[in-house]
Amino acid sequence: MRDTLLEILEEIAPTVDFENCKTLIDDHKLDSLAILSLIAELEDAFDITIPTVEIVPANFNSVDAMAAMIERLEAED
Amino acid sequence: MKSYLSFSYLLVLLPLSLLAYQLVPQKIRRYVLLLMNYVFIFYFSRRGSVFIVLSTLSIYGAGLWIDSLTRKRKAAAQGLAREEKKALKARFQKKQRWILALVVVFNIGILLVLKYSGFVMENVHTLLGQPDARVPHFMQPIGLSFYTLSAVSYVTDVYRGQIEADRDLVRLSLFLSFFPTIMEGPICRYSDTAASINEAKRIRYEDLTYGAQRILWGLAKKLIIADRLNSLIKSAFLHYAKYDGTVAAVAAVLYTLQLYMEFSGTIDAVIGTGEIFGVRVPENFRQPFFAESISDFWARWHITLGTWFRDYIYYPISTSGPMKKLTMKSRKKLGNYYGPMLAGLVALFAVWLANGLWHGSAWSFIFFGMYHFVLLMVGRLCEPLIVRLLKALHIDRESKGYHVFRVVKTVILVMIGELFFRAHGLRAGLAMFGRICTSFHGQTLFDGTLLKMGMDGADYVIIALFLILVLWVSIQHEKGISIRDRIAAQPTALRWTVYYALLLAVVLFGAYGPGYVGIDPIYAGF
Repeated sequence: MRDTLLEILEEIAPTVDFENCKTLIDDHKLDSLAILSLIAELEDAFDITIPTVEIVPANFNSVDAMAAMIERLEAED
Repeated sequence: MKSYLSFSYLLVLLPLSLLAYQLVPQKIRRYVLLLMNYVFIFYFSRRGSVFIVLSTLSIYGAGLWIDSLTRKRKAAAQGLAREEKKALKARFQKKQRWILALVVVFNIGILLVLKYSGFVMENVHTLLGQPDARVPHFMQPIGLSFYTLSAVSYVTDVYRGQIEADRDLVRLSLFLSFFPTIMEGPICRYSDTAASINEAKRIRYEDLTYGAQRILWGLAKKLIIADRLNSLIKSAFLHYAKYDGTVAAVAAVLYTLQLYMEFSGTIDAVIGTGEIFGVRVPENFRQPFFAESISDFWARWHITLGTWFRDYIYYPISTSGPMKKLTMKSRKKLGNYYGPMLAGLVALFAVWLANGLWHGSAWSFIFFGMYHFVLLMVGRLCEPLIVRLLKALHIDRESKGYHVFRVVKTVILVMIGELFFRAHGLRAGLAMFGRICTSFHGQTLFDGTLLKMGMDGADYVIIALFLILVLWVSIQHEKGISIRDRIAAQPTALRWTVYYALLLAVVLFGAYGPGYVGIDPIYAGF
């Protein structure tokens, strides 16, 4: 899952160091438009729905945070 | 008494309410507070008070219904495979969505009918060639625009599973009708204030003094600046045809200051009153005139309205099924930057149309919303071009000079928007803006014209001095320094000297008494 996530992220923002950056939103590495692309791609790739309540900086600041959110949404009943 | 910063509210109604609240036993305190809330609302709009009851009952019932369906679904999902669980969730969500839609339509419907039906009918008659036809205008109940948004956010949050439905009707009613926030907001979420209002704690001495300081600061902003500016602003906007573009420009600058001082001053009073009751009301301003861009400005001005639009209009539209498909398709054709912009702009358009209309039923407010939509759209579209231009000109984006340029540019754009916002109709706004562009004469600033519009030299000096104080406080806040905490850490004598000095400044320099007509609370009218 992590590999697919990284693939999507690198396609959306090719110049960002996703492996090491933990402040993707706080440091404006991903802006609001990139988040719109990301949500559409993640929902499609992982067959999940990312509700509005999940669209907060803490869930998109790092690859780990995004992976944790995806896992949580996949496991949700 | 029309304002939280009026003497009748601050010296009579609020102290009496606090006294009654404090003297009654803890067991019945929340009921007394609820009674006070409804007396307050009833005092302003007798017939209108029925609407807040309807609104409360509708979201109470809908919340419980939605919640019961979630519980049923969770019980039925035990032991099912993932795909079956998803199908079950979809089935239940369909029902819940219908309940949500019904209650949102009911609440927004009341708002639409009471606030906009007159405006719509007027325009229909004009289109039919009967501009003079009589159109009934409903009286708008106090706080309707504010509590309706809080009500919609509550029931939507229950639907989203963000909060549990409240089974306690008194707690929910207290949340929606809390009298310090009913008139001018901020737009509170259930999770912000419902629990602490319902706790109805005894007033503590520290909360009382802390809250009183915040109210005093708000009062100073309103009486020393906003009210003192009133006669000049009224005259400049009403008789704009008599003056040149310089006066129109000065009026736009001063009105923007007045609006900020009045609205943020009132919010200071609201937050201060909340503190006295032990309720943490969300902040609504964060140094808006230090914003670097229009989107940054709206993240600092009327924050609770902006976050409401973001959570309940912008994201639901921009991440909806059709918009998701549009984003994926257009990203392949237009690339990573412009691809997702289409869905973003559709949602942004809806937000700014709603924002304009929320402020009132007039074309000038719709124009105000569209003006900000266009500014934001142009900003987004031109961003790659600006980056390239700055690179070519060797301008460092992080430099102080560029930061100052961006702040000044944002402030000017905001002031132009406020000119249209305040003008007596769209036509007057366009005429005033036209005058600024075609007849701006520097000498008008010094030929005495501005001293004949209800403000003399002393008024300008007092306003300038107090503005310097507000600016200094804002700079400290921007640096993350809390002035109130700093003052609270000082020795008692120095602390009280500061408080008395501010009180004295309000008494001596506040614009009240004969010769002054204070402004009505601007946002209470929305």
